[in-house]
Amino acid sequence: MQAYGWLIDEKLCIECRACESACKMWNQVETGVGVRRRQVRVYTMGVFPQVRQQSLTGACNHCENAWCMKVCPVKAIWRREEDGVVLIDQDKCVGCQQCAMFCPYGAPQFNLRTRKMDKCTMCFDRLEQGLDPACVTLCPTGALKYGPWDEIRGKGSETTENFAPPRQTRPKIRFVKDPFPVKG
Amino acid sequence: MALTRRDWLKTTGAGLAGAPAALGAFEDYFQRASGAPAGMTRIVTACGICSPACGIQAWVQDGKLRFLEGLPGDVSGGGHLCGKGAAGAMQLYDPDRLKYPMKRTNPRKGLHEDPGWVRISWQEALDEIAFRMKQTIDTYGTEALLFVTLPSPDLWARFMNAMGVVNRVDHRDECFQTDMIIQKYTTGAKTWCNDFENSKYILLFGWDILAKAKLAYATGIVKARENGAKVVHFSPNYTATSRFANEWITIKPGTDLAVALAMIQVILSENLYNREFVDNYTNFGKYETEIRTHFAQYTPEWAEQISGVKADVIRRIAREFASNGPAIAPAHKKSLCANYMNSTQLVHAISILNILAGTIDRPGGRYFPRMHSIPGVDAIYPPPAYPPKKGRRVDGRDKLPLVNEVDAGIFSTLADGMLNKYPGMIKFSFWNAYTILGFPSPLKMVEALKTVDFTVVMDFLPTDTVTLADIVLPSAMYLEGNDAVARDYIAKYPQTVARKAVSAPIFEAKSIAYVAIELGKRLCPDYFKTPDGSWINPSTLLDEKVRRAGLGENFADFAAKGLVEKPQPFVPRTTFVSVAGADGKCQIYVPQFVAKGADPLPKWIPKRDQPNEHYPYYYMTFIPAVHRRNTTENNSILHEMFPTNAAIINPALAKKHGIAEGQKVLVRSRAGQIELPAHLSETVPPDVVMVAHGFGHVSRALSLAGGVGARDGDLIPDASIDDFVAAGNYGGSSCIMDAVCSIEPL
Ligand code: SF4
Ligand code: SF4
Ligand code: SF4
Repeated sequence: MQAYGWLIDEKLCIECRACESACKMWNQVETGVGVRRRQVRVYTMGVFPQVRQQSLTGACNHCENAWCMKVCPVKAIWRREEDGVVLIDQDKCVGCQQCAMFCPYGAPQFNLRTRKMDKCTMCFDRLEQGLDPACVTLCPTGALKYGPWDEIRGKGSETTENFAPPRQTRPKIRFVKDPFPVKG
Repeated sequence: MALTRRDWLKTTGAGLAGAPAALGAFEDYFQRASGAPAGMTRIVTACGICSPACGIQAWVQDGKLRFLEGLPGDVSGGGHLCGKGAAGAMQLYDPDRLKYPMKRTNPRKGLHEDPGWVRISWQEALDEIAFRMKQTIDTYGTEALLFVTLPSPDLWARFMNAMGVVNRVDHRDECFQTDMIIQKYTTGAKTWCNDFENSKYILLFGWDILAKAKLAYATGIVKARENGAKVVHFSPNYTATSRFANEWITIKPGTDLAVALAMIQVILSENLYNREFVDNYTNFGKYETEIRTHFAQYTPEWAEQISGVKADVIRRIAREFASNGPAIAPAHKKSLCANYMNSTQLVHAISILNILAGTIDRPGGRYFPRMHSIPGVDAIYPPPAYPPKKGRRVDGRDKLPLVNEVDAGIFSTLADGMLNKYPGMIKFSFWNAYTILGFPSPLKMVEALKTVDFTVVMDFLPTDTVTLADIVLPSAMYLEGNDAVARDYIAKYPQTVARKAVSAPIFEAKSIAYVAIELGKRLCPDYFKTPDGSWINPSTLLDEKVRRAGLGENFADFAAKGLVEKPQPFVPRTTFVSVAGADGKCQIYVPQFVAKGADPLPKWIPKRDQPNEHYPYYYMTFIPAVHRRNTTENNSILHEMFPTNAAIINPALAKKHGIAEGQKVLVRSRAGQIELPAHLSETVPPDVVMVAHGFGHVSRALSLAGGVGARDGDLIPDASIDDFVAAGNYGGSSCIMDAVCSIEPL
């Protein structure tokens, strides 16, 4: 299995949200129904003027130990063998929202119109064509990258501030902590 | 059409060898996979939401635009798009778009009146507009016409010139007008080009440059930091740029001028300036005594009292800036140094900092654009002589001679001119793509518009201005038209991108160039004929422009190439300044200003409104990164990301007034009041109330943005031209950040 994962360099994120727009556009995710498969969340820490912000682009992390999948009572969530992508079968999903409750990353979201769960598919249709996921294709600074999990897992730390501890679900994501080594 | 990655490089990669940046700087460990999605057709075009015109490859499936991504190999945006650019298709397919020309049936006008639209034909609309214009001119003269439009495109400019329109205003007083004036006199050419990636020290006054997109800038700064540059951000509040900078320094709103003056003082008194550049290419030598004497008063200790920035910090930053070059202090527009009564002086001071650093048209500095020269319509079909422009300026702009000279603005004095200075003078107005929301004191502008007999509004969405029109014309948008866009944001070498329609205009939308020609045929036919007597045809004109610019045999040929680049080595200029008497040198001291009633060197003047017992807090506005002022709030994707605004205040301020998160508050200034929910954030200082611009559209015909949020402009006082003259605001900076307010829970 050639699994894929995300690599986030949070300091490079300029909050332009091209990743969010790209996801919506490529996947034709309906607007106004409460589903934002990829979402940039901004966290503020400290007290003015000792203030700091972090922006984290987040989607489904296609966890190695996907709790969403484990808890689904109708087995609507499954993993593709070929690339490790975790998907929700829309025919089977009954919209009980168990997966949303157990996912630490808010990935599965309730679609107010279809009344089923929806989430990031890692643009598996693009992966099959040898293309990057839409969000990665658009990200102008390289803050959001993806790649074969074997390569990614060595590229950065397992967790970062405001990111739920990865021990339980083992999300396929890594974080680059210090992108600007000062030269000379 | 299936393309391999190699084919792409063939079509877009003409300039790659000469432009290493073009390959994309950030693919450090992963090569971007780029290929054609199956079953889709590719169209190369250019983004039109903001100005850098990032190259786009658009993917069309079954005749419908499915996906927009950056054009690989393009330096503008590094082959990527921002969130707004990527969501452009939602604007194209916005179900609320204006589809047909319409005519008002309800004679009562107001933001809350139903206009009672009836659909009419283009023919009927154009005939009526032409009749009304002619009648107005015959009865009252051309001064009774008001055009609230940009001068572009060239066909539109020709129409206004042919009609002798004297009252044309635009938003540039809220944007780059001050920069335009100062650049003209200090360094010579209008430029937006900043060579961030080769800079070692980037000094930002107030500009949230990273989050505002203009990807050309954002990616440049990211690269600069990768190259080890230092980024310093002066800003009252903490932003995405502050986070990215090496150093964020909080400053009192509207006092950047004091810090910039003090930096100049330090650099001069310690002789830290770039001697080679200053001695050879500036007028420093000629005016050394005046310059040194003038700045001596502005010590860092003095600036500390005003700005709240510690004197030793100012001194250190000044030394670093002058000694760690190449250094740059970009200036551009409202979001930089914001827009205060003293912003023209600030831009002058910033220009002097760049001159002292010696980086005008030098690597790592502010450079002049190297562009393809694309001839305009007047060069291709020379017009008969234009009539002289006669009559009074309703906005009073001619009282600011420097503003008059650059043919800019001005919005901020328009309502006062129409209501108080020249009441009843304007009988006919034509608006293109400007909404009432863009004005300070927008309700005053509404009242002013009600005094006009006949108003035409051309737009692509049913904005509040549309609600006040007598005739509405549906406008095509950038994804529906063809054009050749010469890059002027990132123009180290000429690069022109084909803007090719990815869709036919929906329903009956048309371009403003079409309207120019059609009104021209009716009102000033001699100006719209070609030498062989036929009417000017926009697509023949475009073919001719492309041919003469050497971009291709015709537009179709150019569009097949997509992006045409002419890489060439960067040769720094040795002569500067085009104004008479400048001797080809950059001017620190601007002698020509004296005759125009302006100071030859920037001097300290305070911002207009100061906190006081009634309005104790600074009022600041901002444009969210995911929106383009007043035009994208109804884009369903962007609306979802940022649907409405709030009064953003520090928790300490909230506590003082007993305000909880999400609670409705009343924010008041001397101009008006707004009600909106509070949002508590440690990113704003405790004496600031911050509100996002672009919300508070009244028009319910905007199904997402209508009736949502509060109009930030209601709190921003407009001005009379005399206020500006009296304050020494010779650049006409519109003071849209220069307000103070109070806040209380509701
Ligand atoms: S991130 Fe959430 S939804 Fe995605 S695989 Fe992990 S647990 Fe499931
Ligand atoms: S596209 Fe990249 S830079 Fe922009 S918000 Fe997403 S992760 Fe951040
Ligand atoms: S920065 Fe964004 S909005 Fe501006 S031209 Fe580029 S993609 Fe379009």
